[in-house]
Amino acid sequence: MCALLEVKGVSISFGGVEALKDVSLKVEEGSLTGLIGPNGSGKSTLFNVITGIYRPSSGVVLFQGKRIDGLNPNEIYEMGIARTFQNPRPFGSMTTLENLMLSPKGQRGESILKAPLKRSWLDEELEIANNVKTLMSQVGMLDFYKIPASDLSGGHTKMLETSKGILGGARLILLDEPTAGVQYAVGRRIFEHIDSLRKRLNLTYFVIEHRIDILFDFADYVYVLHMGKLIAEGRPEEVASNPEVIKAYIGG
Amino acid sequence: MFDIFGFLVSWLTLFGIYAILSLCLNMEIGYTGMTNFGLVAFLGIGAFVTGYVSISMFLSLYGYNYPIYSLDAVIAMGQISGKNPLLNLSAFVASLILSFLVSGAIGYLITYPTLRVGPAFLGITILSFGEMLRIFMKHFEPTGGAYGLLGIPNPFAWVPDPALKSQLFMLTTLAILAGVFLYYRKLSESPYGRVLRSIREDEVASLCLGKPVPAVKARLLFVASGISGIAGSLLVFYTGSVSPDMFVTAVTFEVWGMVIVGGRGNHTGALVGAVLFSLLNRVSSALSFLFPGMLFDPNYVRWMLVGVIIVAALMYRPKGIFPEKPIRTEAWNIFEGPATDRGLKKRLLEVLKRSARWLLG
Repeated sequence: MCALLEVKGVSISFGGVEALKDVSLKVEEGSLTGLIGPNGSGKSTLFNVITGIYRPSSGVVLFQGKRIDGLNPNEIYEMGIARTFQNPRPFGSMTTLENLMLSPKGQRGESILKAPLKRSWLDEELEIANNVKTLMSQVGMLDFYKIPASDLSGGHTKMLETSKGILGGARLILLDEPTAGVQYAVGRRIFEHIDSLRKRLNLTYFVIEHRIDILFDFADYVYVLHMGKLIAEGRPEEVASNPEVIKAYIGG
Repeated sequence: MFDIFGFLVSWLTLFGIYAILSLCLNMEIGYTGMTNFGLVAFLGIGAFVTGYVSISMFLSLYGYNYPIYSLDAVIAMGQISGKNPLLNLSAFVASLILSFLVSGAIGYLITYPTLRVGPAFLGITILSFGEMLRIFMKHFEPTGGAYGLLGIPNPFAWVPDPALKSQLFMLTTLAILAGVFLYYRKLSESPYGRVLRSIREDEVASLCLGKPVPAVKARLLFVASGISGIAGSLLVFYTGSVSPDMFVTAVTFEVWGMVIVGGRGNHTGALVGAVLFSLLNRVSSALSFLFPGMLFDPNYVRWMLVGVIIVAALMYRPKGIFPEKPIRTEAWNIFEGPATDRGLKKRLLEVLKRSARWLLG
C-alpha cells in the first residue's frame, strides 16, 4: 500500500492564532483513517486545507503524489477528493434526486453552451440517473427522490451527503463527523454502510469523529490533534491507551 | 376619444421589453442568487449603444458630418430615417447585436472582481456602478450629455401608417421575447439549471462538488446582461430617444417587483409579473392623460404602488404567484416508473396536462 494523501508540515494561522502547527500525516489507500481531538483542535481546519478552502501558510499537501495545495476546491474535487461538512450542507430547496444528480463531475449539460441542446447531454443524463437510482435503492432512499433535501430526516441527510462523493467518482472521501446529531444505533449503521462501500468500491476514507467508541471499531489508523498539533498516532488500541491522548481529552 | 387598440399595442410593447428584463433578472436572482441591483445599468448601456450605432450609421451613410447629438442631426434624421427600409432594418439588427456584446462584456467585467464576495456586496457594487454610469452619461458629450440622443430611427419608420408601424414593432418585440423565453427555459431545464440552483443554495458546497462557481456566475452574467442590453435597445427604438435619466434605480426595483410577485425561479412567474407591472405602468399614464386635472398625478402613485405590491407579496405570498418547481429532466422518468393503465381517456388527460405544463412552464 502507498499513501494516497500526504500532508507534510502544514501550518496555518488566522490573525496570529496558529490553527495548525507543522502537521504531517498520511492516509493509506483503501484505509479508513480517523482524526480525533478535542473541540477547536484544528480538525475541520485541516479538512479545509486539504479541500482547498484555505491555503496553508507553509507546508504541502500531496494527493497521489501530486501537489494539490493552492488549487481551487472545484479542481480538487475533479482530482478525486470529496468531502462532507460538519453541519450537513445539502442544497435544501432542491429534491434529493437533483442533489445527487449534481455530483458526477464533468457533465456535458452543465456548460452554458451545451445546456440548451438537449441531444448533446440526454444520454449522459439517463446514465447518471440510472446510477443514482441504484445507489438510492442501496441506501434505502428510493422513495425520497421527489422530496426537498431540507425535509429529509437527520439520518437520511447524512446518507445523502456521504453518497454524493461516491457518485462523483472520488477516490478519497473526507467525512466531517458523519454521526454527529444521530443516535448511537444509527451512527453505527452509518459506519457499517461506509465500511461496506469502502470494501466494495475500494474507497479511502478520512474521518473526523467524536464518537470514539464507534470509530475505533472501524478505523485502521488514528491521528490525534490537540491545539493544532499532532500529539499521537497509531492503531486504535494504541491510541486509546496513550496517556497524552487521555490527558488532552480529560484536561489537567 | 380613448384609443383602446393603441393602448393595447403600447402596453404589449412595453410588456415585451420589461418581460425580457424580468426573465434576465429571474435567471440571476431566482436561479443563481446573484443580487443584481444594477440591472438598469445594462439596460442603459444597450440603449446608448443603440442610439450611437443607429444614428451614426444613418448619418455617415448619407454623408452628413454633424455630431450625432446636434439639432442638425435630429433634423437630418427626420428626413432620412424613412427612406431606405433595408438600412433601417440593418441598423436595427446591428444595434441589437452590438448592444448584446457591449452590455454582456461590461457585465462580465464589472462583476468579475466581486464574484468572490457575498450577495449583498455584489448587489451594492452593481447598484453604485449603475448610478455612477448614469451620472457619467449626464456629462458625457459624445452622446449628448443630460439631453441624450433624439431621432433614433424606428426599424419600421418606412411604413407610412403609424398604427401599422407600432404594431409591427410590437410583434418584433414579442417575437424576441418568445425567443428569450424559450432559450432560458431550455437553458434552465438542464444540468446547467441544477448547477445554478446549487450555487444559490450554498456556494461553498457547490464549489466542493466540483462546480467552477466564479466561472459559472461570470458566464451567466455575460448572457443575462447582454440580453438586458437587447431590452434597452428595443426600449430606445420604441421611444425614439434616449437620455440618462430614463435609467434611474427605481426601474431596477420595478423589475425586481415583477420577479418577486411572479415567483422567483419560475419563468412563467417572471412573465406574469411583467404583465402586472407593465399594465400598472400603462394604466397610470393613460389615467393621467385622460384626466389631466387630477389632484395628484397617477404616475407618482404608481411608484408607491410598486413598493406596496412588493411588500404585500412578500408578506402574503413570499414564493410568488408561481412558486419554483424542481428541474425535471428526463432523469425523473427513470424514477416515476412506467404508467400501468394507458386508456384513451387517460392519454388525452396526459396530453392536456402536458400541454398545460408546457404552456405554464
